Amino acid sequence: MDTVPVLFLTGLVVGYFVLAGCDIGLGMLMPYLARTPTERRRLVSAAAPYFLGTEVWLVGAVGVVAGLFPELKSALFGGLWPVFSVLLAAWLLRDAGLWFRARIDTDSWRRACDALIVGGSWVLALSWGAVLAGLIAGGAAPSVFTVACTLAVAALFLLRGAAFGAERLVPAEAGEAASADDAGRLTRVLARVALGAAAVTAVAAVLPGAAAIERPLALAAAALVPAAALAATAGLSGPRLSRHTSAVAIGSAPLLAAAAQALPLDGPPAGVLALAGIAIVPLVPLMAVGQVGLYRMLRRPAADTGFFASPPAPALPPRRRAVPDPAIRG
Amino acid sequence: MLDDPLVLARLQFALTAATHYMFVAFTLGLAPYILVTQFIAVLRRDAARMRAVRFWGGLYLVNYAMGILSGLVMELQLGLNWSGLNEMFGYVFGAPLAVETMAAFFVESTFLGLWIFGWDRMGRWAHWACFLVVTGTAYLSAYWVLVANGVLKWPDGFRIEGGEAVLEDPMALVANPSAVMAFWHVASTALLVGGAVVAAVSAYHLARRNDPDRMFHRGVRAGTVMLILGVMPTVITGGTQFSLFGKEPPTAGLTYTADEIEAIEKASDSSVATAFGAAGDMVMMSAWAMISLAAGLLALVWLLRGLSKWRWFLHPVVFLPLLPYAASIGGWVFRETNRQPWVVRGHLTTADAMTDLSPAMALASFSFFTVAFAVLGGATLWLLARFARRGPEGGPLAPAPAEEAEPAPVRTF
Ligand code: HDD
Ligand code: HEM
Ligand code: HEM
Repeated sequence: MDTVPVLFLTGLVVGYFVLAGCDIGLGMLMPYLARTPTERRRLVSAAAPYFLGTEVWLVGAVGVVAGLFPELKSALFGGLWPVFSVLLAAWLLRDAGLWFRARIDTDSWRRACDALIVGGSWVLALSWGAVLAGLIAGGAAPSVFTVACTLAVAALFLLRGAAFGAERLVPAEAGEAASADDAGRLTRVLARVALGAAAVTAVAAVLPGAAAIERPLALAAAALVPAAALAATAGLSGPRLSRHTSAVAIGSAPLLAAAAQALPLDGPPAGVLALAGIAIVPLVPLMAVGQVGLYRMLRRPAADTGFFASPPAPALPPRRRAVPDPAIRG
Repeated sequence: MLDDPLVLARLQFALTAATHYMFVAFTLGLAPYILVTQFIAVLRRDAARMRAVRFWGGLYLVNYAMGILSGLVMELQLGLNWSGLNEMFGYVFGAPLAVETMAAFFVESTFLGLWIFGWDRMGRWAHWACFLVVTGTAYLSAYWVLVANGVLKWPDGFRIEGGEAVLEDPMALVANPSAVMAFWHVASTALLVGGAVVAAVSAYHLARRNDPDRMFHRGVRAGTVMLILGVMPTVITGGTQFSLFGKEPPTAGLTYTADEIEAIEKASDSSVATAFGAAGDMVMMSAWAMISLAAGLLALVWLLRGLSKWRWFLHPVVFLPLLPYAASIGGWVFRETNRQPWVVRGHLTTADAMTDLSPAMALASFSFFTVAFAVLGGATLWLLARFARRGPEGGPLAPAPAEEAEPAPVRTF
C-alpha cells in the first residue's frame, strides 16, 4: 500500500514541473520574446491563465508532503531552509505580478509587474535548481556541482517555456507571429544549452567531494531519460517534437533526486491513510474534470484580452452627485 | 525583543494569519451572494443580474489573489518556522492540511479558472455549476483548516508513541468539537463580513445616485438580509465555544503529567498574550452588538422605504465593514493567544515547536515577509476599493470592449 501515496506524490510533483515549466519558462523568456506592449500583453495572457491551474499541483504536493510524509518534510526543509525561503519569496512576487498586471492601466505599473514576473520566474527556476542540486548532493556543501545543476535545471525551464511559447504565442487572428517563431527557433538552441549544462553537471558530480550520492548507478540510469529527450530536441526534430520532449526532460528532473538518494518515503500509518483516502478519493474525478476542462478551454491561441490582460478601462466616474436621477428626487 | 527569534516567528505567524483571514473571510462571505445572484440570473435569463455577477465576481477575484498569496506563505511558514510541530504532530496536524490542499483548494482553484475563462464559452448552467463547486470547496477548505487548528486547541484522536503523535481515531479528529464549533462560527461571521461589504459598496453608489441595472438597489437589500441572517447564529455559535473553556482535552496527560503541565503554565509569562486576547474578546463582543444594531436599523429603514433614498443614512453604511473585520481579527487573536504557552495544549509548547533559527535568519525572513505583505495587502485593498468605487464599468471581469487600434508595433530592446 505504501506505493500508492508515493505514486500520488510523484504524480503531483511531476505534474507541477511539466505544467508550471510552461508558464515559468515563458516568464523567463519574456524580455527576449515579447518586446512590444502588444507582444508582452499576449505573452502574459498566454502564461497567466495557466499558473492558476498549475500551482495547485505544487500546493497539493506541499500538502501531501506535510500530511503524509512529515519525515520527508523535515529532510527537505531542514537542510534547505534558505533556498525554500527564497523560492517562496520569488513565488509570491511572481504571482503578485501576474495577478496585478492588468489591474492598472499605466505603463509604469505594467513595467513594474513585468519586472516581478520576469525576476520571479528566474529566481523560481534557479531555486528549484538549487533544491534539486541540494537533494541530489545529499547534504554535501555547495560546490561546482550545485552551480552546474542549478543552471541545467534553469535551462530545462527555459526550454519548456520556449516549446510552450511556440504554440501559444500565435495571435488569435492570422498575422505575423514573430514571438512564436522566435520561441520555436529557441527550442533547438536551448536544448543544446541544456544538454551541455547536463554534461557539465555530470562531470561535476563525480569530482571528489562535490556530492555524496548514495546510488550513483541509479542516478546515471535515470539521467539517461532527460538526456535522450534533450538530444532529440537538439538534433533534427527541433521545435516539432519539443512540446513532448521538453515535458519529458523537465518532468524527469525531480525524479533524479529520488533516484540518487534514499529519501524518507515511508508511507503514512493506516489511520492517516484512511482519513486521506476517504476525504480525497471521492473528489479525484472532480479534480480530473476540472483540470482537463481548463486545459481544453485554454488550448486555443491566447486572446489579447481577458482577466489577466484586460484592455484599457474607462476613467473613474466623478466623485459625487454625477448622475442626478429625477425619479428619486423629493 | 526583536532579537528573539521566538517573538519574531510568533509575530510573523500572527500577522500572516490575520492578513490571510481578512481576505478569506471576504471570500467566504461573498461566494454565497454571487452564487445566489448568478442562480437567479441564469434561471430568469436576466442579463442585468449577470452584469451584477460580473461586478461582484471581479471583486471576488482581486480578493482571492491575496487569499492565495497569503495562504501560501502561511503553509510554507508552518514548514519553515515551526518544524517542532511537524516533528511531533506531523501526521495528525498535517493530514487535515493535506486533505485541504488536495480535496478543497486544488478543486477550488481549478474550477475558479474554469469560471473565469469559461464565461462566454460554456453553457449557462455549467458555468453556474463551476461557481457552485468553487463555493462548496471554499467552505470545505475552511472546515479542513479548522480541523487542523482544532488539534492545537483540543487535541484528540491520537496516542503518543516515542514522543510522536500517532493518529488512532480519524473520527475523533474530524468531529473535534473545537473544530466543528469554530467552523459554524466562522461560517456565520463570514455572512456578516459579506453582508456588510455588499451593503457598503451598494450604499456608496446609491448615495451618488449611481444605480446601473438597479444592482445596488438590490445589493443593499441583499446585504441587509445577510446581516440579519448572520447575527443570531454568530452569537449562538460563539457562545457555545465557551463550553470547552476550563476543561481538559481528552489527551491531557499523555505527554506531560498534570503537575508538569501546571508547572509549565505557571512558569510562562504570557501576560502580553493574555492582554491581547482580552482586547480581542472585547472587540469581538462590542462589534457584534454594533452589527446587530446596524442590521436592525437597516431593516427598519427598509420598512420605511428609505434604503435607496436617504443619503444621510447611506453615508455611514459605507463604513460598516470595519466592524466585522475588526471582530474577525479580534476573535482570532482571542482564540490563538488563549492557547499560550502551548501550540498544542498540554503536549507541545510554543518555544519547543520553533525551528532553531539564528536571530539573523529570523529577522531576515520576518522583515521580508512583513514588508511584502504590507505592500501586497495594501495594493489589494486599494484595488478592491478602486474597483468597488468604479462600479460595473471596466471591472476586472467586465466584457472586453471592441478592439481598439493598437499603435504600430515597434520592437524595442
Ligand atoms: C464578524 C466577526 C465576529 C463576531 C461579530 C463575533 N465573533 Fe466570535 N470569533 C470570530 C468572529 C466573530 C472569529 C474570527 O471567526 C473566531 C476566531 C476563531 C473562531 O472560531 O472564530 C471567533 C472566536 C470566538 C471565540 C473563541 C473560541 C476559542 O477560543 O476557541 C469565542 C468564545 C467567540 N468567538 C464568541 C463570540 C460571541 C459570544 C460573540 C457575540 C457576542 C462573537 N463571538 C461575535
Ligand atoms: C486555522 C488556522 C490557524 C492555525 C493552524 C494557526 C496556528 C498557529 C501557530 C502554529 C502559531 C504559532 C505558535 C503559537 O504562537 O502558538 C499561531 C500563532 C498565532 N496565530 Fe494562529 N493559526 C491559525 C489561524 C489564525 C488566524 C486566522 C489568526 C488571526 C488573527 C491567528 C492569530 C494568531 C496569533 C495572534 C498568534 C500569536 C499568538 C501568540 O504568540 O501569543 N491565527 N497560530
Ligand atoms: C481561519 C482559518 C482559515 C480559513 C477559514 C481558511 C480558508 C481559506 C480559503 C477559503 C482559501 C481560499 C482562498 C480564498 O478564497 O481567499 C484559503 C487559501 C489558502 N489557505 Fe487558508 N484558511 C485558514 C487558515 C489557513 C492556514 C492556517 C493555512 C496554513 C497552513 C492556510 C493555507 C492556505 C493556503 C496555502 C491557501 C492558498 C490557496 C492555496 O494555495 O492553497 N490557511 N484558505
